[in-house]
Amino acid sequence: MTPTTPTPTAAQTAAADAANDAVADAATAAVAAAVRAEPATASVRRGSAHRARLRSAARALPWTLFAAVLLLPVGGFLLVAFSPRLFGQGGSWFTVGAFGQVLTGWTARALLDTCLVGAGAALLATAVATVLAWLTERTDLSGRGLWRLLLWALLLAPSYLESLGWTWLVEPQGVLSRLLGHDPAALRGVVFGPVGVVWVLASRGVPFAYLAVSALIRGMGREFEDAARTHGANRAATFRLLLPILAPALWAGFAIVFAESISDYGVAATLAAQANFPLVTGAMEQSIATFPAQFQLASAMGWLLLGLVALALLAQRRSMRGRSFTVLSGRTRPAVRSRLSARGRVAAFTGVGGFFLLALGVPAFGAAAAALLPSGGRVSASALTLANFRQVLRSGEMLSALGYSARMSVITAGAALVLGAFAGRALARRGSGATGRLLDLLLLAAIALPSVLLASGYIFTYNLPLASELGINLYGSSTLLVLGYLAGALPSAARLLAGSLGQVSDSLLWAARVHGRPAAPAWTGAVLPLVAGALLWTWLIAFCGTLLELPVSQLLAPPGEEPLSVAITRQLQGYDVGAGAAMTVLVVAAALALIGVALGALRLLLPAANRLEAVA
Amino acid sequence: MTAQLRVENLSKSFGSTRVLDRVCFTVPPGRFLVLLGPSGSGKTTLLRCLAGIERADSGRIQLGELALADGRAQLAPDRRDLAMVFQDYALWPHMTATANVEYALRRRRLDRETSRLRVARVLERVGLSGQAEQYPHELSGGQQQRVALARALVAEPGLLLFDEPLSNLDADLRERLRVEIATLTRESGATVVYITHDQAEAFALADEIGVLEGGRLVQLGSPEDVYHRPASPFVARFTGLAGELAGQLAGGPTGSPTAARAGGADAAGAGAVLVRTAAGLVSAAATAGVAAAGGAVRVLIRPAAVTLAPAEPGDSGDPSGTVVDTAYRGRGYDHVVELPGGVRLTGIFDRAAHPRGTAVRLLLDPDGCFAFADHDSGAAPAAVSSSAADTAEPEPVRTTLEVR
Repeated sequence: MTPTTPTPTAAQTAAADAANDAVADAATAAVAAAVRAEPATASVRRGSAHRARLRSAARALPWTLFAAVLLLPVGGFLLVAFSPRLFGQGGSWFTVGAFGQVLTGWTARALLDTCLVGAGAALLATAVATVLAWLTERTDLSGRGLWRLLLWALLLAPSYLESLGWTWLVEPQGVLSRLLGHDPAALRGVVFGPVGVVWVLASRGVPFAYLAVSALIRGMGREFEDAARTHGANRAATFRLLLPILAPALWAGFAIVFAESISDYGVAATLAAQANFPLVTGAMEQSIATFPAQFQLASAMGWLLLGLVALALLAQRRSMRGRSFTVLSGRTRPAVRSRLSARGRVAAFTGVGGFFLLALGVPAFGAAAAALLPSGGRVSASALTLANFRQVLRSGEMLSALGYSARMSVITAGAALVLGAFAGRALARRGSGATGRLLDLLLLAAIALPSVLLASGYIFTYNLPLASELGINLYGSSTLLVLGYLAGALPSAARLLAGSLGQVSDSLLWAARVHGRPAAPAWTGAVLPLVAGALLWTWLIAFCGTLLELPVSQLLAPPGEEPLSVAITRQLQGYDVGAGAAMTVLVVAAALALIGVALGALRLLLPAANRLEAVA
Repeated sequence: MTAQLRVENLSKSFGSTRVLDRVCFTVPPGRFLVLLGPSGSGKTTLLRCLAGIERADSGRIQLGELALADGRAQLAPDRRDLAMVFQDYALWPHMTATANVEYALRRRRLDRETSRLRVARVLERVGLSGQAEQYPHELSGGQQQRVALARALVAEPGLLLFDEPLSNLDADLRERLRVEIATLTRESGATVVYITHDQAEAFALADEIGVLEGGRLVQLGSPEDVYHRPASPFVARFTGLAGELAGQLAGGPTGSPTAARAGGADAAGAGAVLVRTAAGLVSAAATAGVAAAGGAVRVLIRPAAVTLAPAEPGDSGDPSGTVVDTAYRGRGYDHVVELPGGVRLTGIFDRAAHPRGTAVRLLLDPDGCFAFADHDSGAAPAAVSSSAADTAEPEPVRTTLEVR
């Protein structure tokens, strides 16, 4: 043992480290190995603190760059509302004229309608979700697995699909009119109007609100109820007591659904457009799609939309301030499910079943019937035909749209998975300081940004002369489309993975290292099986979400390529309803099959991952 | 296989906080070292540095012929030939008990049959033959800890590390597992480093105890050494006190009855001193620097050094007080006694009960009373001279030890 010079073993350790850690770390290790342990001095301490700060900044750099590529365009787009001249879009350096223009006439109407529809949808969704969560978490209602599955389906299906299902059902010459033999004008009046729009948005919002509310209801335990009842409160009084305890979750549900609803484009482009019921996102798209594009107006609307989203999230924050509702503790005992009476069971079943029937069943029936009915003539069971499917499978147009969207989705989902895993890991260790907080903020911003605004920002900024002068020729390319998709898919991927990566205790990996496994095998042996399910789910969600994504596809598709969702909604213009519906049915079935196959493969290859999910 | 562990000048900072400050110690082959310290004393960081999970800023760790760390150079954890029992067990939830143990044996590259036999043997040794094919979530906390123990033992590494392995278990189970850890690790012959904040656990397990305070190793010695000759008030408090008395130095041993009984004890090497306190004259073992303190001292009293006697009429010269609490402990009673001046001594054991409100006389064994120079008067003991130590003074812990 020679303490003054590094032994061969020490040199080996330095080499081993270089393999494990960053190059910079290994360099300092080698230097420090050569120098003997220096005494503790203030300057060393300052130096190491400085180094730590530098390292943290270096870690934040890639994320900052990435955020710049994804989010900066939106900033430029938002600036144009105030300073059109800055971007060669008008005469004045600073003006608020665009806002005046937006706040009058039909766009003002659209704004007001958007607010009302958003609030209505949020209220309805939160109420439905609360009842649903109570029934599935606190009573012995049967079919809980099925209800959760249906919620997932609702979460994954894009809003325009539900709109299209209803449209195919009630439109003139639609499924109902042909089945019934007369035009369902009254029903159409309801569906093609505020009620229909609110319903579709609300039913889409229920899964979000359910996620917000059910966790609290599940964890709340029975103590609060029992305490209220033993101190003399009747059912109604107990409910009034529980309401404030549930308030943060209810607010969260309301805010999320409101934000999601007002930034939704799928309904605005389909049901609302047909109903002549303009919404802000639709109006934004229109001002960009007209020639010449009115970016200034779209930007002003973007500001207003963003303001509303921010307001919703702020309101939720405020509702939490100064309160501590720590209802989950080690002492909380899981609540006992209460038994439903026979009458209660029937009522609950009817309610829950009815909701899913209206939210999923009816639109699915509309799509399936529209796909199976012949294009003309009498309707009877024998008249049902697969002609539409045959046509779709033979038509190069539809298949190429599917192929293109599938390619884009595979790329997007892959990128979202890899980047999301890194971001999620950083997010899960938020304690690390500024980096984590910055990342958190960026992800939140990206989630809160409506897709329409995001896509508008891309169109605007990457089309600026400045962009091509800088050598950035993304405009009109598939790369830009993927970037747009990624901006949408990455934040939720990161959040999903932060959850499951955060749950895997570091000591599991270290236990493998300490007991003799090198870094890579230790990770694949001790960590991968635990997160494989989450990784697969994240990829599937990103893939399916991108495959049928509408707003970004609509605005950013390069010339000559037509993404799937654009092709499907184009069928709505009426020239081939049957083929559009058949395509939709095929794609949804294929996506479900893909999910089934992927989960089956996971179960087969990693039985442990599956068992763990059952445990959780 | 078993090897000497040598740690030299190990230092580590997180940002501007120094969590390890030039720690040095040596553990002879096959010895059991317990590192004892409150939370924030750096013991977990020290253990993680030994395991290779954390990288020390400077210093050297040597296990036998193998340099584990030298300055910033590090041997990867998987090449250190050690094993560790984690506080949260860190059992891989997707593997059965057998698979968990077997995974740790892969480093030995044994053939399948030998490896199977060894895994079965070690599982049997920890009493888990019946649960070998169960998953961690199907096992109780104690069983999970046994799997973690089996996993650490199976490859017969030269160094075993324990990170507060008993802290998540209830008292009864903790005692049973402590006995198993003590026997199984000594059977294996490995060198052991075990960290805990529980002094009873430390004294029961250790061949040697190291007390950590604010990242510094303030005392290293046999359990008896640490208990009878604490190096600082911090060590004394952390290893269990009945209470403390403030007083003034009244001179060397005199003819007082207490000192006579102690037989002129010179437990701390510096002899005994007489201290005038609000409760009366107390004879205590003098510690280094106490004479130079200029008079102000604190007497720290171990619970085991106090014997209760019935109050006598007249002044016997012994401190006296009133019983304020009596707790039945099965073998006898724990008492809390309030002295004149309001100081309370806790955890005073007697086979017989002294009811609440009884006046009692306290016979103090000078071997269990330590006179330290009083902090506020300036001359602090050398071991706690750093400013961090002042803020890290622990609350006196009531010990469950009854070392006499």
